[in-house]
Amino acid sequence: MTNIIKIAWRNLLRYTRRTLLTSSLIALGVALVIVFGGVGNSFRSEVTGILTNSNLGDLQIHKKGYLGSMDNLPLDLAIPEKGLAAIRGILDANPDVLAYSERIRFGAMVSNFAQTTGIRLTAVAPEKESRVCPALPGRIKQGDADPAGFVKPGHVVLPLTIAAGLNLKIGDDVVLVATNKEGSVNGITFKLSGVSENIMGPQGKDGYIHLDDARSLLRIEDGEITEIAVKLRDFKRLGKVYPALKKSIAALPGAKGEAGSEVKPGKGGFETHSWEELSPFSSIAKIVTLLILVVRLVLVFIVLVSILNVMMMSVYERIGEIGTIASIGTPPSKILALFLVEGLSLGLFSGLLGSLAGAGILLLLQAVKLKFTFGAMDLVLAPAVPLAEMLLSLAVVVIISTLASLQPALKASRMEPVEALRHV
Amino acid sequence: MPLVKLEHASKNYITGEVSTPALKGIDLSIEAGRFISFVGPSGSGKTTLLNLIGCLDRPTSGKVFVADAEVSAMDRKTSAKFRGENIGFIFQNFNLIPVLTVYENVEYPLIMVQNVPPEERRRRVTEMLEKVGMAEQAHKYPAQLSGGQKQRVAVARALAPRPRLVLADEPTANLDHATAYKVIGLMHAMKKEFDTTFIFATHDQKIVGEAELIYTIEDGLITETRENAAAGGVK
Repeated sequence: MTNIIKIAWRNLLRYTRRTLLTSSLIALGVALVIVFGGVGNSFRSEVTGILTNSNLGDLQIHKKGYLGSMDNLPLDLAIPEKGLAAIRGILDANPDVLAYSERIRFGAMVSNFAQTTGIRLTAVAPEKESRVCPALPGRIKQGDADPAGFVKPGHVVLPLTIAAGLNLKIGDDVVLVATNKEGSVNGITFKLSGVSENIMGPQGKDGYIHLDDARSLLRIEDGEITEIAVKLRDFKRLGKVYPALKKSIAALPGAKGEAGSEVKPGKGGFETHSWEELSPFSSIAKIVTLLILVVRLVLVFIVLVSILNVMMMSVYERIGEIGTIASIGTPPSKILALFLVEGLSLGLFSGLLGSLAGAGILLLLQAVKLKFTFGAMDLVLAPAVPLAEMLLSLAVVVIISTLASLQPALKASRMEPVEALRHV
Repeated sequence: MPLVKLEHASKNYITGEVSTPALKGIDLSIEAGRFISFVGPSGSGKTTLLNLIGCLDRPTSGKVFVADAEVSAMDRKTSAKFRGENIGFIFQNFNLIPVLTVYENVEYPLIMVQNVPPEERRRRVTEMLEKVGMAEQAHKYPAQLSGGQKQRVAVARALAPRPRLVLADEPTANLDHATAYKVIGLMHAMKKEFDTTFIFATHDQKIVGEAELIYTIEDGLITETRENAAAGGVK
């Protein structure tokens, strides 16, 4: 085998310019896949991090049917006190759950006494919300951003769009008017304690009040809420934790059933959703994944065509030589191996070259820390070197190189020595 | 039992619908240890005859035996193995492997064909290179050698696996006269040294004189067989 590898390498070096050109093309493709994969993954995880850490949490639990009507923020699809206690029991017992925050989300009108506009309000207990969405206090750019109490009773945090539109400053009074689930309208005056960046895009109109204030405004007498946002200890375990949690929550009975009683599949009272099901960004994340796949397919095509082309030329140029080695008794299997190893070596060398170049570019980007704005999010791209991506690309290149060399190698090994020797 | 035996061997080349006979029912018997020449004009069938004996090609009809084996009935894999163990080849264009050094070219059949152990391999290659006078050039590549030197290396490569038969097709056609005589002299010396049977095809009448037995081939038939008592005069 050593001899076969030696001859294969020498044959590659025999046509130095052609080998280098082909290698460069494949290396460029590999580097592109690694850089694109690294940057794409970095973008995806950065945006995912912002969304889950600022607003969504990793998972959310609602009353069954809530997600379908989520745009209307229905108050009649709330989690009742009894159900809430059962859910708390499940979450508290789950070692993967770091924290959870109970919320009441509803639509309201906000007025500065002269102008009025619509707003989506999320009522939270700030210390719990800060544990689930640790980036949220950091997005409050004016006013009180204390994680333990960024919104106190009697205060409201408004998004930048509304605060600017209504010409409000910290400490100004505003009136929040909302309709409760029975249809009665109520209004309370709040003091503006903070102005936050728009989290969900330029049209984001998400404000925060204290959970106790929401109960007063909406005249909720029991402890019902509309949403529970859950934060996991390790986001990477979402894929494993989510299905198990979903199953446990789905097994809980709704408002009419008794907590802990048997529930038929699909008949439970509550539903669990991952952040991907709640955010339109998950589609963008899927597109990024798809693009990475497309770039990988382009790489496969580049490698296939390049290696096939080089190896076919190599066989045609060396027909006489193949005739010689065949006539002196080289078995067809060894002739096959000679050409396969040649193609494989070219692929391996090019793949390694491309991997090094790709890793180098990513390390450079990591050092530079590319900053840009996506929607209302300020992103810092510091892509890590994706070792798995590098190994996968290398494996793909080596496998495709071998496959691409197979046809020319088979052709060489099946040549009749007498025909090959006649070739000039 | 002769080393080479042909029983009414014919070979036709078919191009489209046209069949061209290259050999027309050759019967031939060659004893081991001889230095033989096939002589004849271009297109007479010398190379075809060598190809059949070297089991590089199969006859259209008839049988070919080499070292008691019917080579005309062998499949590709078996004939490759048989060639590697029994037959050495010397080509008109030397056909050295350009990416291998002189040493590696001679070593090639010992590694890739016969799987000779490293120590024995080293001994045999060194011995062959010394015998053909190319030991000093062992590290050079074929492109750095003259035609005569290349053919010496080819002789060494053909003999290194200790074949029973060496076939040479126009081995001196690309060499000047002086070098051609030296190469034929070398082949003769090697034949004596290793008791190997040499068969070479040529149309060079001066070189023909070095063969012990001369077969004249014309239009695919052996038209004359002549013993040459004055063979082996070249040194």
